[in-house]
Amino acid sequence: MDPNVARVLVESAVKIALFFFVVLTAVAYMTLVERRVSAWIQDRQGPNRVGPFGLLQPLADGIKFLFKEEITPPHVYRPVYLLAPLLIFVPALVTFSVIPIGPPVELFGRTVRPQIADVDNGVLIILALSAMGVYGVALAGWSSNSKYSLMGGLRSSAQLISYELAMGLSIVGVLMAAGSLRLNDIVERQAEHGWNILWQFPGFLIFLTAAFAETNRLPFDLPEAETELVAGYHTEYSGMRFSMFYMAEYVNMITASALAATLYCGGYHVPGLRLLGLPPLASALAQVLAFCLKVGFFLFVYVWVRWTLPRFRYDQLMNLGWKVLLPAALLHVVWVSFVVLMGWS
Amino acid sequence: MPVQLLLGLIVVLVVFAVVRAYAPERTLLAGVVLGLGALALLAVDSRALLSLEFWVGLIGFAAILSALLVVIHPNPMVSILFLIVNLFCIALFYLILQAQFLAALQIIIYAGAIMVLFLFVVMLLNLKTEVGLHVAGGPQRWGALLLGAAFTALLFHAIRGRLDQAYVESGMFDSSFGAARGVGGLLFSKYLFAFEAASLLLIAAMIGAVVMAKRKVR
Repeated sequence: MDPNVARVLVESAVKIALFFFVVLTAVAYMTLVERRVSAWIQDRQGPNRVGPFGLLQPLADGIKFLFKEEITPPHVYRPVYLLAPLLIFVPALVTFSVIPIGPPVELFGRTVRPQIADVDNGVLIILALSAMGVYGVALAGWSSNSKYSLMGGLRSSAQLISYELAMGLSIVGVLMAAGSLRLNDIVERQAEHGWNILWQFPGFLIFLTAAFAETNRLPFDLPEAETELVAGYHTEYSGMRFSMFYMAEYVNMITASALAATLYCGGYHVPGLRLLGLPPLASALAQVLAFCLKVGFFLFVYVWVRWTLPRFRYDQLMNLGWKVLLPAALLHVVWVSFVVLMGWS
Repeated sequence: MPVQLLLGLIVVLVVFAVVRAYAPERTLLAGVVLGLGALALLAVDSRALLSLEFWVGLIGFAAILSALLVVIHPNPMVSILFLIVNLFCIALFYLILQAQFLAALQIIIYAGAIMVLFLFVVMLLNLKTEVGLHVAGGPQRWGALLLGAAFTALLFHAIRGRLDQAYVESGMFDSSFGAARGVGGLLFSKYLFAFEAASLLLIAAMIGAVVMAKRKVR
């Protein structure tokens, strides 16, 4: 085999394994953070018995899920029923592969980017993969052959389609400012000219709202509104298959947070880091750490909002999506293109 | 050799499908044996995995198989899923042609937006599974056969004598083909009129649909 090809293959394999491990660990600990923070907001204790501060709780939960019985109801359409959890989980995980988490570093005599794939159309690939998530939800609802599941699946598909538009338009502002679809270019431009959030704040708000709806989180968690739909599209799932839906939700949250940080908050860029004069490796590590902190902040916002706002009604959700967010996003695109055209950005 | 490897894998797949259809109780055994056979084939000819021909052939086979299943499968929902697979195969072909932008658009627009609409319609209509494939008799069958044969002849005529040529001829290929800049430039210069006319048409259709839906409510 050509040594160059082999080197690229090995490098990619190592990166993929590392990302897989980090993201899945983050998902496990996000469940703990969610429960601890919600307990803190409600002035309770939360899970604190398994290990110090409840730190081993995700491990206990994982083992419990593995040993639960997998119940497949007799009336489901089996091939699609088995496929649906994968269709949600895999796109959610793959989306992470195009997000840069740090600057390029010199390692073992070659330049390594802390990113699995540095593609020219990174933003489009993220949009394409998030569009794929709809299928998992819709098909899980349909193949379960139950009324609650079908209602949940339909609601969720309608919601995802409605908010995808506003999300795409809010990203257009960022793309116009950077003049590129590559996520690294977007980050580097923000490092030079200031973060996008400073002058595209309306776009950031639209993006964040749409991201909440896309990840099915409160206040937009109508697809699984337990008071009306039992659990929505995953009512008929149990054991590890149920936990796939659950994990996919958290992976989606992490990806959306990473995207918010990359598109609007400068990605891995830290203002004024260059002035410290750190050696390149230390500075790169500091930037990766900064990126993780930004993502962590957005994840905290997710939990915070969950325990602050009540759930929307379905007509309110659709009104907000089509009559408020979509026109606002269009106006935002006009405003950003005006700024870019005048050369003020 | 890539071609032999591909043919071997296809034979393995066909044998598996036949066993599954006619002797379901042997599915597990056949799966294990044929899976090991496929692995052996790959191990013998692992260099073929890095060749373009192998992947073009594999994706092409998947595209044809999924297109056939769209028509043949009795369950409309599964037909839709195979149509999505087919659209993905076409996106992969765009990727092989270095047109990343077109591949992403293919997935966002066709596999993402349009197929979700199809899915909605089938879910809401609650179509029942058809029992077997209905082939209309009489003039329709003969007409279909005739037209199919004519189209096959046309295809063969088009690719005749080109099988041994390179996929991409040097000097002919424009590296900006299918990139965001190139597509955008074409849309807003050469095809500006068609682009704007299509958008006007879509808006008119959308307004029409809204008006008709509202009339029903009243």
